[in-house]
Amino acid sequence: MVEQLLLALKVAFVVLLYLFVWRVIRVASRDIAVGQESMVLTPAKRPAALATPPPRRRGRLVVVQSPELPEGTEIDMSRELVAGRDAALDIPLGADGYASGRHARFAHGQDGDVVEDLRSTNGTFVNGDRVSGRRVLQSGDVVTIGQTQLEYRAGG
Amino acid sequence: MRELWNLGWVGGLTAIGFLSVYTARQNEISSASLTYAGVFLAVFGLAHIGVRAGLPHADPWLMPLAALLCALGLTEIYRLSPTLARDQSVWVVIGLLGFLAMIFLVRDHRRLEPYTYLLATTAVGLLAVTMVVGTTVNGAKLWLRVGGVQVQPGEFAKLLLVVFLASYLREHREVLQMAHRRILGVGLPAARHLGPLALMAGVSLGVLGIMNDLGTALLLFGIYLAMIYVATGRHLYTVLGLGLFAAGSWAVYHGVAHVHERFQVWIDPWAHPHTSGYQVIQSIEAIADGGVFGTGLGRSLQVLNHGQTIIPAVQTDGIYAAWADETGLAGAAGLLLIYLLFCYRGFKIAAIAGDGFSKLLACGLTFAFGLQAFLIVGGIIRLIPLTGITLPFVSYGGSSIVSNFMMLALLLMVSNRAVERA
Repeated sequence: MVEQLLLALKVAFVVLLYLFVWRVIRVASRDIAVGQESMVLTPAKRPAALATPPPRRRGRLVVVQSPELPEGTEIDMSRELVAGRDAALDIPLGADGYASGRHARFAHGQDGDVVEDLRSTNGTFVNGDRVSGRRVLQSGDVVTIGQTQLEYRAGG
Repeated sequence: MRELWNLGWVGGLTAIGFLSVYTARQNEISSASLTYAGVFLAVFGLAHIGVRAGLPHADPWLMPLAALLCALGLTEIYRLSPTLARDQSVWVVIGLLGFLAMIFLVRDHRRLEPYTYLLATTAVGLLAVTMVVGTTVNGAKLWLRVGGVQVQPGEFAKLLLVVFLASYLREHREVLQMAHRRILGVGLPAARHLGPLALMAGVSLGVLGIMNDLGTALLLFGIYLAMIYVATGRHLYTVLGLGLFAAGSWAVYHGVAHVHERFQVWIDPWAHPHTSGYQVIQSIEAIADGGVFGTGLGRSLQVLNHGQTIIPAVQTDGIYAAWADETGLAGAAGLLLIYLLFCYRGFKIAAIAGDGFSKLLACGLTFAFGLQAFLIVGGIIRLIPLTGITLPFVSYGGSSIVSNFMMLALLLMVSNRAVERA
């Protein structure tokens, strides 16, 4: 009787322990699907002289990865573009469950092309840093919107 | 609500653990052990109410994970010696009181930020006092006797230094990132900005040289390197730091007998199996004895008939080995997974935290926690030289339990603030 009980307890303990671990991991798996902020503080701003001069012409966006748009699709930034899950937008991301209806806007600002977060639920990220308000894009920056990643290439 | 539900799981695990140990010990089935689990759950339930009242947005996983580590530790300590388990449960209650006191008195971790140098002075002062009037146990001078109770100031110094570094680096990170002059194509900041950081490295070395405490020294130095990297994002400091570490290790290996011996034992414990190598060999044997599923809680041969244990200091240094013996690879891996998940939650808090101080604080606390677990588990399985530090929340030891709960309180404050802001 004692033997059987001890065996049952041993099995129950391991099963319960791993079920608990699994519960935490399930929550963690949801985090991986959306863009992450970095825990390393971003480097201080580079001195003005070193910064690359703002591009003269408007750039384009290349799809790196997206549940909706085919990889490698180029989007010309000749005009203001809004990305989000709504089908009527310039960059429609209907299949991206982590994007908001109207998620982010790409526009041409004073210092070059900018991305602006439209108060999206999961945030807009540039190279892993969450954008608050708007942010000037440098060539090669990767913009993450939900599960979609767009690379910005400056116009030349 | 989620936190309470998670604590319920932990309560279930505690009940099974205690029932198993009790049954194996008495060779009869009794529900008496379930009361222990009930009391444990009730105590953490009260702490849960405290957290929800003080920090409504705090992370719902960290406290249950810490509670689970505590429960596993208590179960194993109860198995090794019921007397020690009684002491340990008193310490857990004191730790939780400290935890709640922190939450209600400090409330917002950012209120600690202005006290940069006060914190550093207190930490260094604590260590210095221990060096002068400390008690020596097992060749290391780590203890202070205060009215009949022995405290380990190193544990609290660790906590204070993390807060100091977070505050100092937040303020000075720009100057550390800027290149003041270039040597061999590498930009270095001005020497005067490195002063307080060099002091920090000196403190670690002092701890090692005077207190003979390799574990705490490694831990402090590791925390320091990790936090500098988080603050600046420059690999230079990590490389420099590791270089310094290598040079320092070489010097210490040749200069300090205690460290020399530890290192020799690590390379070949079987050279002196009955003296210096005994602890490491017995730990490895215990882990091997456990196999995949272990002997079962309460059924290993770790405790002899008259209450003596096979592994020296099994309730502190060797607790991982005892746990691995009784629960096997499955239980030991589960324990390590819990540490991993705890660190994951901690780093996630650092990632979502809004300001530099919060990010640094969360990173530093989490890293300290993870590194400490790595150092002691790595030591026991002979991956690295064995250092006598505690396994956070699991090992027997009042100072360790209390300081870890205070660290947990700070982490929860950071997460509360980060979620509130979002």
